[in-house]
Amino acid sequence: MKDRLRTHLLPGLVLENPLLSASGCFGAGLEGASTGESGILGAIVTKTVTLRPRAGNPPPRIFETSGGLLNSIGLANPGIESFLERDLPGALALGPPVIVNIGGETSGEYAALAERLQDSGAAALEVNLSCPNVQGGSLPFSTDPDACRRVVSELRRATDLPLFVKLSPNTHAVVEVACAAVEGGADGLTLINTLLGMAVDWRRRRPRIGMGVAGYSGPPVKPVALRIVHQVRRAVGVPILGVGGIQSAEDVCEFLVAGASAVQIGTAWFTDPRAGSWILSRLERLLAEEDTSVDDLVDSMGKERRSGRGHGCA
Amino acid sequence: MEVRVHRLCEVRRLGEKDFVLELEGPFPTVRPGAFAMLSLVRDWPCLLPRPFSYFDLREPTGEVREEGPVFGRGSFLVKVVGPGTAALTSAPPGSRVRVTGPLGRGFPAPMGGKEPVCLAGGVGLAPFLLWARERAAAGAGPIPLLYGGRNARALVGREEFEEGLVDWRLATDDGSLGSRGTVLDLYRRLVGEDALDGEAPVLCCGPEPMMAAVAAECRNRDLPCMVSLETVMACGYGVCNGCSVEVRGRDRFEGARYAKACVDGPVFDARELRW
Ligand SMILES: Cc1cc2nc3c(=O)[nH]c(=O)nc-3n(C[C@H](O)[C@H](O)[C@H](O)COP(=O)(O)OP(=O)(O)OC[C@H]3O[C@@H](n4cnc5c(N)ncnc54)[C@H](O)[C@@H]3O)c2cc1C
Ligand SMILES: Cc1cc2nc3c(=O)[nH]c(=O)nc-3n(C[C@H](O)[C@H](O)[C@H](O)COP(=O)(O)O)c2cc1C
Ligand code: FES
Repeated sequence: MKDRLRTHLLPGLVLENPLLSASGCFGAGLEGASTGESGILGAIVTKTVTLRPRAGNPPPRIFETSGGLLNSIGLANPGIESFLERDLPGALALGPPVIVNIGGETSGEYAALAERLQDSGAAALEVNLSCPNVQGGSLPFSTDPDACRRVVSELRRATDLPLFVKLSPNTHAVVEVACAAVEGGADGLTLINTLLGMAVDWRRRRPRIGMGVAGYSGPPVKPVALRIVHQVRRAVGVPILGVGGIQSAEDVCEFLVAGASAVQIGTAWFTDPRAGSWILSRLERLLAEEDTSVDDLVDSMGKERRSGRGHGCA
Repeated sequence: MEVRVHRLCEVRRLGEKDFVLELEGPFPTVRPGAFAMLSLVRDWPCLLPRPFSYFDLREPTGEVREEGPVFGRGSFLVKVVGPGTAALTSAPPGSRVRVTGPLGRGFPAPMGGKEPVCLAGGVGLAPFLLWARERAAAGAGPIPLLYGGRNARALVGREEFEEGLVDWRLATDDGSLGSRGTVLDLYRRLVGEDALDGEAPVLCCGPEPMMAAVAAECRNRDLPCMVSLETVMACGYGVCNGCSVEVRGRDRFEGARYAKACVDGPVFDARELRW
């Protein structure tokens, strides 16, 4: 029964089930543990950690709109030293493998973080190349294939931990950037970070979020995430962690079929702190009803027609 | 914190936009000022649940936990301001309501000293029923509570308080009930007349401009002042970092620039906040 849920991400990284927490939506370490949900996850992904502490952006940081959520947290985090000392040990004690999400503004910062995390007990690193809330999302790593290849290669030299590179949907070149990440040495990809969005308070003639532009998440972004997972799956062979708008076990199955090997839950934790448990138990039932498994569902959409118009990497 | 689905027993209308949402228990004992995130299980028009202070807990079940008795009824005082509050207050009896709570740090129990003076504006009244009961159980009371609103019709909810819990002092902007002016005007006048202890600590819950004004008054008088913030929240339990409020780098926050209203608050010592 349990085997149905297992997902083979990488030779050394087999998860008991395909549900992960999305970075920034489950706390830096132990916050999400207060719900008791952390134990049931296939893996825990921590909030983006940077070399130095970041206070984050001025409030208001969140606004609900059109069925989704705008956020501009600005990578508030305690910095790597405090994270290693206070947050990571607690997260590791929860049971599931811990994937540490890192963020930086230069490739050197990313490499320094990777070195610091090499023997920390982290099962893998997730590389946030794509935070829309830092420098207005203007960092090139997630939109320019060459910049992406360079930062990932430098990371590759800095660590032998598995690297999942998390990309932005805010580019027309997402497939090219994904290919560049793989060429640079990524073991997997996380797709997608938030879409750039905005909400306006017209009476006060100002944006609803302190910083103006913000990241959009939740159910409205699911079709965009599915499309990108699928397009990238056609082009690269590495495992994909699908994320964006997942609220139900059916959503999970859609991402698996479209090409994700596992999924992450973000905004749904805010809707219901027990979202993970509900989704997992329903997923188990769905798979039993269909007499199928996660590994069987992964990338199972129209396999026979696949070669047709695939992009492929250049 | 628990996530539990409760049956909606009744929605009682108190005023034009103010309602009491009565839910079937079990509800644990909470600190006055603690809150819960509420949403309807079905037909919820929003993505996120909405935060509300616990208003009332009644009908002990007999079960007693570490934090106190478990109650068979719980209620929330809800003012309609948008889609979430409209949906909650128009849901038919029997609807299922998802409640995540208790969350946050409420008003700390007084450790000796003078009995705090409470200032409430509008639905900011919500935390003070449990507070008044707690003070009555501790042998204090009736507690001084200054309650203000736009007009007489806005000063709802007093009938929900048992007789003798509160020494009510009312203020309305138009003078239609109690004294004319704001709660702060009333506070100043009563202190000036020696009708209120001007050295007692202050607890305050209401619209932010009111709380900021009260906090400034207390700062001038060098009085401790606790305020309960109504910051917009996404998760309510500390994982999203969306509810940050700017604080002064005091010991509690280790010099951090922002604190989380949902777990570090919603009740703050006003001197901790940058307003
Ligand atoms: C700790 C806490 C305790 C609260 N206790 C009570 C209470 O006891 N009774 C009561 O009636 N209200 C209370 N509120 C306010 C209540 O949460 C909001 O009125 C409610 O979220 C509005 O939802 P809506 O969908 O009806 O309106 P929306 O369309 O979401 O918003 C309407 C207005 O309310 C503001 N608002 C929106 N979301 C929130 C939010 N999550 N928190 C605060 N303000 C928001 C918006 O800025 C806007 O001005 C409390 C808020 C907090 C943070
Ligand atoms: C409040 C909030 C904070 C986030 N913080 C981070 C972060 O620190 N690092 C990161 O890589 N992604 C962050 N994200 C993006 C999510 O991990 C996820 O990619 C995105 O929200 C889409 O998934 P969802 O629709 O399930 O939320 C954040 C999202 C939200 C809503
Ligand atoms: S509301 Fe999410 S951290 Fe406070």
